[in-house]
Amino acid sequence: MQGVAIPISMVPGNSVLHRLNPLPKLALAIGVLIFSFATRNPALLGIVFAIGLMLVTIGKIWKAYLRVVMILFPIYLTLIVLQSIAPAFPRPWTPIVGFGPFTIYQEGIYSGVSMLARILCMTTYALIMIQTTHPSDLFTSLQKIGMPYVLNFILTVTLQLLPIIQSEFAIVLSAQKSRGMKGTGFGAILPSMVPVFVGAIERVQQLSISLEARAFGSSGRKTSFRDVSMRVKDYIALVLSLVFPILLTTWVVLDKSLDWSRSMVFPPTLSIILVSSCAIGFVVYFIIAVSYVLRV
Amino acid sequence: MANGLIRCENLWHIYKTGKVVALQDINLTIQAQEILGVIGQNGSGKTTLVKHFNGLLKPTSGRVIVGGVDTARKKVQELSSQVGYVFQNPNHQLFARTVEEELEFGPRNLKLSDEEVIERREKAIEFFNLNPYRKLHPYRLSFPVRKLVGMASIYTMQPAVFILDEPTTGQDHVTTRIVYRLIERLREDGFTVICVSHDMILLAEVVDRILVMRNARLIADATPREVFADLQLMHSTHITPPQITELSLRLRESTLQKVCLSVKEMVETIQDVMSGSRPTQSFNN
Repeated sequence: MQGVAIPISMVPGNSVLHRLNPLPKLALAIGVLIFSFATRNPALLGIVFAIGLMLVTIGKIWKAYLRVVMILFPIYLTLIVLQSIAPAFPRPWTPIVGFGPFTIYQEGIYSGVSMLARILCMTTYALIMIQTTHPSDLFTSLQKIGMPYVLNFILTVTLQLLPIIQSEFAIVLSAQKSRGMKGTGFGAILPSMVPVFVGAIERVQQLSISLEARAFGSSGRKTSFRDVSMRVKDYIALVLSLVFPILLTTWVVLDKSLDWSRSMVFPPTLSIILVSSCAIGFVVYFIIAVSYVLRV
Repeated sequence: MANGLIRCENLWHIYKTGKVVALQDINLTIQAQEILGVIGQNGSGKTTLVKHFNGLLKPTSGRVIVGGVDTARKKVQELSSQVGYVFQNPNHQLFARTVEEELEFGPRNLKLSDEEVIERREKAIEFFNLNPYRKLHPYRLSFPVRKLVGMASIYTMQPAVFILDEPTTGQDHVTTRIVYRLIERLREDGFTVICVSHDMILLAEVVDRILVMRNARLIADATPREVFADLQLMHSTHITPPQITELSLRLRESTLQKVCLSVKEMVETIQDVMSGSRPTQSFNN
């Protein structure tokens, strides 16, 4: 339990991406998010995803990136399986093959693949932003463009409390195990959760007192210990990361021929292999995950 | 038991994260009905050592044998009926709605019958004098009482060994005295008590054997009198003995021969010296 850390944090490094101002990275992540929702075209999403992977290589964050992808992996698999039997798509649907009550639809495969591509795009760019940026830098630059300090602070504190609560949970768990509690199962929820939550609430109360004692919320302009400057290359990156998604988005919105949902046809064998391997993959992953958790 | 209740043989512990060597080659034997103190600076390995006694940590190499069984093959839950661990902060383990329910949690985990659970609960309430609080929510109690509830919740498991992590920290004088008394009573009832503590008065007056830890090593294992008299040891571990002991150590060269651990002892020693070497008239002034 103690060794499991949340992978959503900065990977220390000194790559180009690490040295870049947080704003262009944030702009790019939001831009790609908007773009991914604007199109269903798997080819375009795939290209954007591939560019994202290149950035992952530049940022040297492959290890941390893959850890998050591993956590999200079952979601990717279920997306394909569920979408192909119940597409989030306007009817009519073209059936490919049926297994008893379930039918795999042509549109479903398309919908599943494109949604997967969307999610991959969004998570990749969001992770590039998060894993190459020091949280304080991010919040400092957000503050510079006018985000209220209190809101900023809430976000920072939440991020900082997570690892503390995690370690508290480990202590509580060992305290209750010392009283003979079984480490898993329904009976373990109350004895281990109550102390963690009560402790978290007490901690927050103390935090607010100590914050007020240190003049939190006083009027006037705040200064920051960390200074984030915008240099020429940051401006260039900002322009690029704004222009690239905006152009792409306008293109996919205006050019209707990029909607391949009716024209792209998956051969039946390929579809069946895809869906069944995803389903099997999910089951295998699920079994591994459950046995890992029950090991405690 | 001839081989001791708890035995560590060449115990090493290296934390997986960070590769910190927390224990280096610890060898010791703990007999039944001992009151043991474990001292050392923060980070010297005290807590790591005692966490091996109830299986919360497993040796990286070497062995820990509790009641004749190697802990490496036992789960914490299985060892909990033999070795009870009272955590420093009672808030980490109190969760039930009433003190009574809290005390029943341990024995229920041991799968005891209802009558036995209630019997043990009542025994614990009596032993720790918790009768006025039995229907209250543990979080409504004052910190010292909460700490007693924490100890009582382990007492209901009736383990042969009690591990108390900082039993007197953050408590007022009265409850500290109550805790000392309880520790002594536990021993009278046949339990073994291991205290991890920085409370020098507890160590001097209650404990009968002290383990001194420094930099992951066990550097001394002796009676409080021997430990506190060893000035070099005290200095190297940054431990200050109780003031009364310090006073008697400074007077040792000139007047007193004995190292005193408590005020009571000091009074007796001074009275002996004065009545022996001087006429009684000095008291009449």
